[in-house]
This record gives sequence, C-alpha cells and structure tokens, in this order.
Amino acid sequence: MTEIGARTRDFETAVLPHLDLLYRVARRYTRDTPRAEDLVQETVLKALAHWDSFRPGSNARAWLLTILRNTFVSGYRKARREAVSLDPEALDRVSTRPEVAADPSGEFFARITDERILAAVEALPHDFREVVVLSDIEGMSYAEIAQVLGVPVGTVKSRLFRARQRLQAELLDYAVSMGWVRPRVAG
Amino acid sequence: MSGSTGCREAIALLEDWLKAELTPEVAEQVRAHFDRCRPCFRHAEFERRFLAELEAAGRGDRCPERLRAELLREIRGADPA
Ligand SMILES: [Zn+2]
Repeated sequence: MTEIGARTRDFETAVLPHLDLLYRVARRYTRDTPRAEDLVQETVLKALAHWDSFRPGSNARAWLLTILRNTFVSGYRKARREAVSLDPEALDRVSTRPEVAADPSGEFFARITDERILAAVEALPHDFREVVVLSDIEGMSYAEIAQVLGVPVGTVKSRLFRARQRLQAELLDYAVSMGWVRPRVAG
Repeated sequence: MSGSTGCREAIALLEDWLKAELTPEVAEQVRAHFDRCRPCFRHAEFERRFLAELEAAGRGDRCPERLRAELLREIRGADPA
C-alpha cells in the first residue's frame, strides 16, 4: 500500500522542493559533507514533528531554514567551539580592495574558479558566511533573512555589506598574488 | 566635480539596487545614473558580475539522491495512514 495521508502529502509538497537548498546551506554551515547530511536529516525530521505549527501558505523555506539554523547553532556549532558572536574589531580589519580599474580586461572574472570562491566563502566567520549564502547564493530577500536570523533588516544589510567586502578583499588579494590584476597604484 | 552627489547616492544604493530591493522609481534613478556615469557604471558592473559569479559557484550542489530517498522513507515511515 503506497497511499499516504493528507498530512504527509502536504508536508512533502511543502518541504521536498527545498531539499537542494537545505543541503547547500547545510554544507556551507558545517563545511563538511557528512555533517551536512546529518543536519539536513535532523532538520527535516524536526520539521515533520512540528509540521502542525507551520501556517499553511506562509514561507516554507524561511521556516525550514530557521529550523536548520537553530539546529546548527544549538548543536553542531557548539561541538566545534566556534565563536558565537562577531568580533567587530576583527571585522574592521579588512584589507583595501584593489581598484576595479586595475582589471580593465576582466582577468579576475575570466580566471577565478568556483572552488576558489567557495573556499573563500567557507573561510568567512559564521555570521558573515550565512548572510552571503542566504542572500547572494540562495537569493533570499533581506526580510526573509531577517526572519531566519531573528535580527532586524538593518543588521542583515550591514552584515552583508561587510561580508561581501571581506570576501572581495580575499579573492582580489588572491588575484593580485596570481598576477591577474594589478594592485592599486598609490596616489 | 559635477554630479558628485549623484555618485554618492548611486553607490550608497548600489547594494539594494543589485538585490532589487528598491522601489521602481528609485531603481530607475539609480540605473539612469549608471547609464550616464562611466566610473559608477564600472563599479556597479564589477559588483554585479561578482555576485553573479558567487551565485553560480554556490548553486551547483544538489541534495544527493541517496539522502533524498532516505528522507522520503523516514517521512512515509512516520505516516500514520
Ligand atoms: Zn557616478
């Protein structure tokens, strides 16, 4: 008998389309494939257990990501003893990025690889990494991210701005070290 | 320098513009500035391409079929019907 109940069917309809998203975000959060799979599994089972608290028609992906994030923060992250809060001073130590004009022929974009970009994303501190992943990779709005993180939209925007600066500085420094783009000329 | 206020405003709104989080009227004003200002256009174009590369780099992963099948088994195994 393959018949399933309406509750299970509704759950599958709402949740299964987001498995790729959950898996990608879990990989970026954990930076480890087996742990990412565990995190996705735990998230989906928690979502199933709490399915009755989901308001039909509300944002399923934000709801799922909130569960994933809470699961990660309460368990996986603690186990790794990762810093829980941002160190604002460390975040301000961002190297100056080279002038865009120093790359007139677009060498940076021609040569940079997906692997290098993802390595730079994974090297970001957690709080920066997650806004970049949710906004710039998964395409979520400021409002959705604010909901998932439980912070004001203004916090999401400023965190995202600094995260991108840091990511660009990292990748452009690498491009300069490879001789693809010239560093900014003083004066 | 002429148009410096326009440049400051346009660059301040660039992040929101790229994320399509501005009202259509403001978005159009920003776009109009980039159309007529070469340095700002280059800046905006670099940011746009950077974000496009970032998205492309991160969107390749798919949930493994094995994990998807396992989850489906667990979901249906918990079905009381
Ligand atoms: Zn300008």
